[in-house]
Amino acid sequence: MFDFEVITKNLPYLLSGVKFTIALACLVIFLGTFLGIILGLSKLSKNRLIRYPASFIVEITRDTPIIMQMFFIFFGLPALGIRLQTFPSAALAMSLFAAGNTAEIVRGAIDSLPLGQFDAAKSLGMNYFQMMIHVIIPQALRRMIPPAMGLFTTLIKDTSLAAIIGAFELTRAGQEIIERTLRSLEIYLVVAAIYFIICYPLSYYTRKVEKQRVTGF
Amino acid sequence: MAYQLDLSIIIKHIPLFLKGVFLTVEISFFAILLGLIIGIFFAVARTSRFKILNLAGAAYVEVFRNTPLLIQIFIIFFGLPGIGIKLSPYASGLTALVLYVGAYNTEVVRAGLEAVPKGQIEAAKSLGLTGVQTFLYVILPQTFRISLPALGNNWVALVKNSSLVSVIGMVELTWVALDLNALTFRSFELFGAATIFYLILIFILINIQALVEKRFAFKT
Repeated sequence: MFDFEVITKNLPYLLSGVKFTIALACLVIFLGTFLGIILGLSKLSKNRLIRYPASFIVEITRDTPIIMQMFFIFFGLPALGIRLQTFPSAALAMSLFAAGNTAEIVRGAIDSLPLGQFDAAKSLGMNYFQMMIHVIIPQALRRMIPPAMGLFTTLIKDTSLAAIIGAFELTRAGQEIIERTLRSLEIYLVVAAIYFIICYPLSYYTRKVEKQRVTGF
Repeated sequence: MAYQLDLSIIIKHIPLFLKGVFLTVEISFFAILLGLIIGIFFAVARTSRFKILNLAGAAYVEVFRNTPLLIQIFIIFFGLPGIGIKLSPYASGLTALVLYVGAYNTEVVRAGLEAVPKGQIEAAKSLGLTGVQTFLYVILPQTFRISLPALGNNWVALVKNSSLVSVIGMVELTWVALDLNALTFRSFELFGAATIFYLILIFILINIQALVEKRFAFKT
C-alpha cells in the first residue's frame, strides 16, 4: 500500500538534498557558461592552434555520456595523481559537459548574425574586443537565451547523475532514505515531483521566450 | 611515480566490450524505433481537437521532460514492483528510455505537424483522400522530413542516455567499463576506451542521420 507517513517523515531530509542539488546546478551553470563562452569564441577563431583544440574539447564533452565523464574524472584521474571528492568530481564533469554545449550555443548564435555587423564594426575602427563587447555579444546574447535556458533545465535534471558516484544531493538523499525504509515507489515519486517543481517553471518560461519572435537582429 | 598506461587490459577484454557495445546499439535501436511511434502518437494527440487527448499529451510531455531520466528508471525498476508490476532490467531500461525520448520526440513531431502548410491538407481533401489517407500519405512524410534534424539530436542524446541503464544492471557499454574497473582498477584506460566507443557510435549515428536527411531532402 501507498505509505504517506514515510514521505512526511523524510521530507526534511530530502529538502536537505535539494540544497546540494541547487548548489551543484548553480555551480555547473556558472562555470559551464564561463568556460563555454571562451570555448565558443575559440571555435570561431581564425587561428587553427586555438580553433582545433577548442573543437576537440567541445566534441568530446558533447558526444559522450556525462556519467562516462564523471567516472573518468572520479575513478580515472587519481591515476594521474589528481584525487577529487565526489561532489567536486561531479561538478567538474558536469561543468565540462555544460561548457561544450554552451560553446555550441555561443557559436551558433554568433554564426547566425549577419556578416554586415562584423564589417560595420570593423569599418568603425573597432578592434576585436570592442567589436565583440559592443556589437556582437549583445546581439548574440538574445539568440542564446532560449537554447541556454533549455540547457539549464537539462543540467538541473542531470545533477541527479552525481548520485551514481555517491555525491550527496536530492537523488542520493532519496536513495539513503530508501535504504532505511525500503519504500522505493513513494520516495522516488516525491523526488521526481521535487525535480518537476524545480524544472517546470524554467521549461515553461523557455517556451514562452522561444515563442517571442527575435526582433531586430 | 608516473602512471603506466596498460592498454593490454583493453585488448584482453575486447570481446566483453563488444558485447557491451552490441547491447548499447540494440537498446538504442529499439528505443529510437518505439520512441518515434510514441512521439507520433502523442504529437497527434497534442494537435487533436479533443481537449482530453490534448491535455493527456501535454501532461505526458511535461512530466517526462521535467524529471531526470535516472529517477524514471528507478521508479520503473525499483518503484513499480511495490504495486505489483515487476519488469526485468532490460524491459525497465527500455521502457524508461522509450518514454523519455518519446516525450522529446512528441514536441519535435508536433512542431513538424504544425509546419505542414494548410494548403497540403486542403489539396488532399479536394483529391478525395480520407482523413487517415491524408495523414499517412500527405502529412506524415512531410512532417518526418521537417522533423528529421531535431529527431537526430534526440537520437544522439538517447545513445548517451542509454548509459544510465547500467545502474539497474544492464550489461551495456558503461556497465562493462564499470565492471572491469571494479576488477582491475585500470580506470583511466577502461573509461577512456568506453568514451572512444561512445564517440564512434555517435559519429556513426550522426552520419546515418545525415544520409537519411539527404535521402528525404526537399528536391528543389
